[in-house]
Order: sequence, then structure tokens, then C-alpha cells
Amino acid sequence: MVTVDASRKLFQPTRRRPRRPDDTRGYRIFRAVNGIILTGVVIITLYPFANIVARSLSDEGYIRSGQVNIIPRGFNLDTYRLVMSDSMFWTNYRNTIVYTVTATVISIVLTTCYAYVLSKKDLKGRSALVGIAVFTMFFSGGLIPNYVLITSLGLKNSIWAIVLPNAINVFNLLVMKAFFESLPTELEEAAAVDGLNTYGILWRIVIPLSKAIIATMVLFYAVSFWNSWFTAFLYMDRSELFPVTVYLRNLIAGATTATSTGSSSDSLAQAAANIQAVTIILTVLPIIMVYPFIQRYFVSGIMLGAVKG
Amino acid sequence: MFQRSRHRHAAVAAGVLALTLGIAACGSDGETEAEDLDGNRVGAMESYGVGDQFTATEALSFSLLYNNHPNYQIDKEWMFWDELTERTNVSLETVEVPLSDYEQKRGLLIGAGDAPFIIPKTYPGQEAAYVSSGAILPISDYVDLMPHFQDKVAKWNLQGDIDSLRQQDGKYYLLPGLHEDVWTDYTIAVRTDILAELGLEEPATWDEFREMLRAMKAAYPDVYPMSDRWSIPTPLGALQNIIGPSYGYDTMGGWGYQNASFNREAQEFVFTGTMPEYKEMVEFLHSLVAEGLFDPESVTQDDDTAIQKLATGKSFVISTNAQTLVNDYRPALAQNNPNATIAKITRPDSPVGSVKAGSRLENGIMISSKARESENFVAMMQFIDWLWYSDEGQEFAKWGVEGVTYTKDADGKWILDSDIDFIGINPDASKHLQKDFGFSNGVFAYGGTTELLQSTFSEEELKFQEAMGQKETLPVSPPRPFTEEEREQATLWETPLKDYVQQQTLQFILGQRDLSEWDAYVAEVEGKNAQQYIDLVNGAYQRYQEEHG
Repeated sequence: MVTVDASRKLFQPTRRRPRRPDDTRGYRIFRAVNGIILTGVVIITLYPFANIVARSLSDEGYIRSGQVNIIPRGFNLDTYRLVMSDSMFWTNYRNTIVYTVTATVISIVLTTCYAYVLSKKDLKGRSALVGIAVFTMFFSGGLIPNYVLITSLGLKNSIWAIVLPNAINVFNLLVMKAFFESLPTELEEAAAVDGLNTYGILWRIVIPLSKAIIATMVLFYAVSFWNSWFTAFLYMDRSELFPVTVYLRNLIAGATTATSTGSSSDSLAQAAANIQAVTIILTVLPIIMVYPFIQRYFVSGIMLGAVKG
Repeated sequence: MFQRSRHRHAAVAAGVLALTLGIAACGSDGETEAEDLDGNRVGAMESYGVGDQFTATEALSFSLLYNNHPNYQIDKEWMFWDELTERTNVSLETVEVPLSDYEQKRGLLIGAGDAPFIIPKTYPGQEAAYVSSGAILPISDYVDLMPHFQDKVAKWNLQGDIDSLRQQDGKYYLLPGLHEDVWTDYTIAVRTDILAELGLEEPATWDEFREMLRAMKAAYPDVYPMSDRWSIPTPLGALQNIIGPSYGYDTMGGWGYQNASFNREAQEFVFTGTMPEYKEMVEFLHSLVAEGLFDPESVTQDDDTAIQKLATGKSFVISTNAQTLVNDYRPALAQNNPNATIAKITRPDSPVGSVKAGSRLENGIMISSKARESENFVAMMQFIDWLWYSDEGQEFAKWGVEGVTYTKDADGKWILDSDIDFIGINPDASKHLQKDFGFSNGVFAYGGTTELLQSTFSEEELKFQEAMGQKETLPVSPPRPFTEEEREQATLWETPLKDYVQQQTLQFILGQRDLSEWDAYVAEVEGKNAQQYIDLVNGAYQRYQEEHG
């Protein structure tokens, strides 16, 4: 009997939420209102997406007469079949995956190494290294000089033109640096005493402790590379090298110019309204599916760096 | 061709880009000897004249900036490429740019000195941004290498249109697409079943047009008979641009608005926004709004809203072009009201008479200055002349290969092969002229004879074109190129003037400002340097007349 009572007392505070004295009627109303407002925000955010989904499954006539909101009308999958049968769409889709994966791997490696170095407070010339990175946040060479540089380096029409110029995002670098600075130096000292060199410390001690921040950075980089189109547009001269974002952008532009200029003979055949919707869905789907898996790292990861920066 | 203002914005942006590099490019250019082409004739034909097929004497390759249309993505397997090489011994190295951002990439490539030799899909006016950098060839020095181009300019009396392209140095830098006649596409679409129901005729003048709307309003008091689209970014952009040219000014109103219009009687430029004709247009539109014939929301609503109002019977009249009639209005109406019919009407006439105005120039080609250094320069000019300006080249680019993609009947009419579709000619065909063969490609096929242009038009569109063809075509405004300093000054005045005119025009139309205040409005426009601006324009006009006229 006594032991049971004791255990109950022990567990009580962790199992039950402590009753807060200010959990008043006013507070409950506040929470209800809060819930309603946030539900509203959710609806507002989800509506365009639901609309796109409905459009992608609807008949074109209903879309043009504005009768499609969130429920598909004239349900059909023909447009999905049509878009998926375009080989250029898949070529560009494959490019997006290749570019995103390669670029993310390279970015993570480079950002981690750079950030780790910068986190060493006793490093000589550290402020100069930070300065070099931060400088690029405020000043850039400009469009044409960048283009001339990439071209004369012979990177044009290769994956490196997309991957290398954007390999390190300074914001991500600084978040990561702050995270590394928050790790206790004693850990690394102990590892050094046990005989690990610098690379061993980074690989066996620091990185295993940094999964949260690395997952966050993977998400940041992957999303930005997946969505990016401008670098590819600048440095690629052949459509089979474009990522799917450029394909999509062009498709949508084709549909809009066809209705507004109307006078050039090449736009007489017009991309159907639901082709846009279908392509949008197919393009954003993979990256949306990544979120739930990384989300738990995402919240803790970004907080870790930010608070202690 | 009605989207000039939009293109112009892009051109200005590109110009800023081009100017930054202009200094670098200027120095190396120096004096080009237009006549001395001895070192540039490799591959060129000795004698090449009108009616000749161009074939390079050795295999050549030219670089080309390619505007990739999403509806027919570039494909190296197209019959177009093979057949082109077979006929001309020329192959094209394409730099493929998505249509969505063509202008930006073009500016970048020219600015970086990395542009291909041939730069198509450039609209008249866009080339001005690159002139001072020296990166673009003054093509007027070399048109004597292009017999078909010169032939068409002479035959169709296009010199006036071409002159409008001249820059301050008297040269022009763009090889425009050439049309035999002014091509009018935009007009008003009217529910013909309502016309029949009310026993109304198609209106021939704007007054009759207003009568028609009144009759509709009388029968359907709850609707606004007309609710218009194409109001973003320019409110009533299309409608005003449909009314303006019926007064003989393509500079008057909407998309086509320009501050200076040429008065043919006085032989001088006047300010557009205060012309008596402009006031008449404003009064006309105001009367429509005041009588409840015209939906005031038209000035702000987006296109989809306007289409929905039409589709659901909340309006009967709307601006249109050939495509939107078939692609937007008819499917939307069919969904809601299977008995509804809608068709284009011939543009109504103004009190000025049955006239039309507009440019006969299409988008065209710029040539990179670097091409001039090439030993194949002459051959390239002959090639461009054949593909874009000869009857054979234009027919080839549009229709393809006789006996394969098309045949010709006894009257010389083009008949598409029954297994090939193009704009719904053979809807059940398994192949597509653009997607599977690469013909009727906007990069290569445009302009030409009226017969060729209309060869793909539907019966009802042909009837519209015929009716529009009856109207007298007025000559275009003469050139008035600014000097560098004048352009700078003019730009400072132009935008505020244009914005103010458009804003006040809307207020007058909607009745927010009374038309009795028109004189006050004219004075306000004067206060924004309208007269100084017009003096500047007339000065440039007279200088050009003296130096080059």
C-alpha cells in the first residue's frame, strides 16, 4: 500500500497537466476564438490548393465558366494522362530530382564544413572568414558579370552552373554556425584526448549530435533547389537540361499570353486551363510529401540555432 | 501587336541592362564599312534575286535565339530542320529560351556579348534599348543583300512603316515581319441570338452600337448589356484601342495610347489626350455608363469575371479576338445556355468615316553585330531573306512540304493533310503540324501576303477580315526619333502624362468627374508639360525630315 501511494505521488505531476490558476473562463474563450481564427487561416491557406486539385480533375468547360471551386466537376483524368505522356515533362522532372539531390548534398557538406570552422572561437582570421560570407549577403556581382563568369568558367549547360554558385546560403551558414557554437567544447576536448583528429571529431562527435540542424538544412536547401528556376533559365541553352519549374513556368506563360496577345499565329493552340493545374500538382507533390517526415526536426532544429545565436 | 506597351516595359528594363554594358561594347565597334563585304562572302550565292531559292555553296551553320513555345516544345526530330538544311544547306544552332522569360534572357545575352547571330521575336520598339550599345547591327545598311525583303517593301508600299523604325542616326536595327495589309483581330463580340430575338441589325457605327445596347437594356432592364474584359493592367485597354483606330489614330486610347498623335492636315504632332476625337470617344463611353448600358465594374474586373458574366447571361456584349471567341466564350456559354450564339461584329465606324489605322509590321529579327565579322555574313543575310521574306520560304515555314504536310487545290488554296491537325482543321488527326513537324512555328512563320495569313482562318473569321478589308487604311505616323538627351527628357514627361490622361479618362467615363470640366482637364494636362513634350516631338520630327526626309 505504501509503495503504491508513493509511486502515485511521484508520477502525478508528469502525467496530469498542472492546473493553472489562470485557466479562467476568459482564457477558455480566448482559446476558442484563437482556434476559430486559426481554422480560418487554415481554410484560407488550403483553399487555393484545394481549388487547384479540383481544377486538375475537372472538365475544361466548367473551369472556363468559373464553376469549379473545391469540388471537381466533370471528373476526368485525361489531362493527367496527357501531361504524363509528354516526354519533355519527365525529362525535366528527372533533371529537377538530379539537380536537387546533387545540389543539396554538396550544399550540406560545404555549409557544415564552413560553419564548423567558423564556430571555433580561437581560429585565427575567423572574423575575416565570416566577413567574406556576410559580404555576399549584401552585395552581389550583378546579373551580367555573374553570367560572364559562369560562362568563361565553362560551366554553362552543365549541372555545375546550378549547383556551385548557390552552394552556400549565408543565412543557413550562420544558423548552423550558431548551433555548432552551442555544443559544449568539453565534448570535443574529450574526443581529442581520446585520440581523434579534427575530422574524426567532426564526423564522429559533432555530426551525430547535429542531426536536427542538418535535417532542417536539408529541408531548406532541398525546397529552395526544387523550386528554383532562375539559375537554370540563365545558364541552360537546351530544353532537355531545364528543371521542371522552368517547364511549368513556360506552360503557364503560354496559356496566359495566348489569351492576352491573341494576335500571333503561334498561340492559336492554347494550353488548357487544367493542364496548368495538373502540372502544378505533379510538381509540388513530392516536396509536400517530404515535409511531414522532416517536420519534427524542423521545429527543434531551427530553434536550436536561433535562440543561442 | 496590340501588346506594345507591355513589350515596351520589358524593352526599357532590358535597355537599362544593355546600357550598363554599352560603354564596354562601344569602343570595340568603331566604323563598319558597309560596302566592303569581300571577306564575308564564303558560302554566299553569286547571284541571288527575287524568286531564287537560296542554297549555300557549302554547308553552313548559324546560331539562333529560339523562343520555345510550351504548346509545341522544340524537337530536333522535326521535319522542319531536315527540310530546311536540304533546301538551303544551312543548319541552325539554337539557344533555347522559354517563352515565359524570352525578353530577359535576350537582354542578358546581348548585354554579356554572348548573343547568337540571329535574334528573332523582337517587337518593333524593343530594339531601341540596344542601339546605343553597338551590340546590334544597323540592318538598314545591309538590306541590299535581301532582294525579297526589298521587293515586298516596294510592292506593298511599306517604306513609311519601315521608316517608323528609324533611330536618331537615320538607320533601323530591326528586320520586321511584313504584312500586306493591316491585320485587325480585336473587335466586339455580340450575342447574336439576342440580336435575332430583338430584331436588331449588326451595328455599323458607334451610334448604332449604342442604340443596340439601349434596345437590349429595354428588353432586359436588370442586366448591363455590355461588361468588358482586358482591363488589367490598362483599364478598358482593348475597348478603347478598338474605338481609337476607328477615328484614324492607332495612338488613341487603351493599350495603344501614346501621348503624341500625328495630325495629317496640320502635318504636325498633337497631344493625344486632349484631341477633339479623344474627347468624342470619352463622351461616347460616358454615355454608355450613364445610361446603364455598360457595366462600370468593367474598368477593374479581371477577365474571368467578365467571361462569367457573359456566360451566365448577365451581359451580352464583350471585347474579343478570334481565339477568345472560340476558346473562352463559346465553351463557357455552351455550359450554361446551349441556345446562346455569339459572334464578332465588324468594328463600328466613327463619324470620321470607314477607316482603320495600324502598323503592318510584325515582330522581327535583330542581328548581332558580331555576325558582321563572320566570313559567312552575306550568306546569312541571303538565308534570312529566303526563309523569312520570300514567298517560298514563308509558305514552307507555315505550311511545310507540299505533298507531305499539305496539298494545293486548283485555286491554289492550301489543304492540310487529313492526318494532320492545326487549330482544329482536322480535330481527329493523329499528328499536329506544329508539335510533330515544326511548321507554323511563331519563330519562323509570320507576316506575308494576306492570302497566306488568312489561309488558316475559319469561314466566319474570313468574313470578318473581308469586312475589315473594305475600310480605308490610313498611313502610319512619320518617324520622330529622339536624341539621347531628348529621350531622357521625354521619358520624364511621358509616364506622368500618360498616367494622368488614363486616370482622368476613367473618371470622365465613370461620371466621377463631369465632362463640363474638360477645359479644366486640358489645362491640368498642360501643367504637366504636355506642350513642351509635343514641341520636343515636333522638333525631332522636323529634324528628321530635314536630315533624312
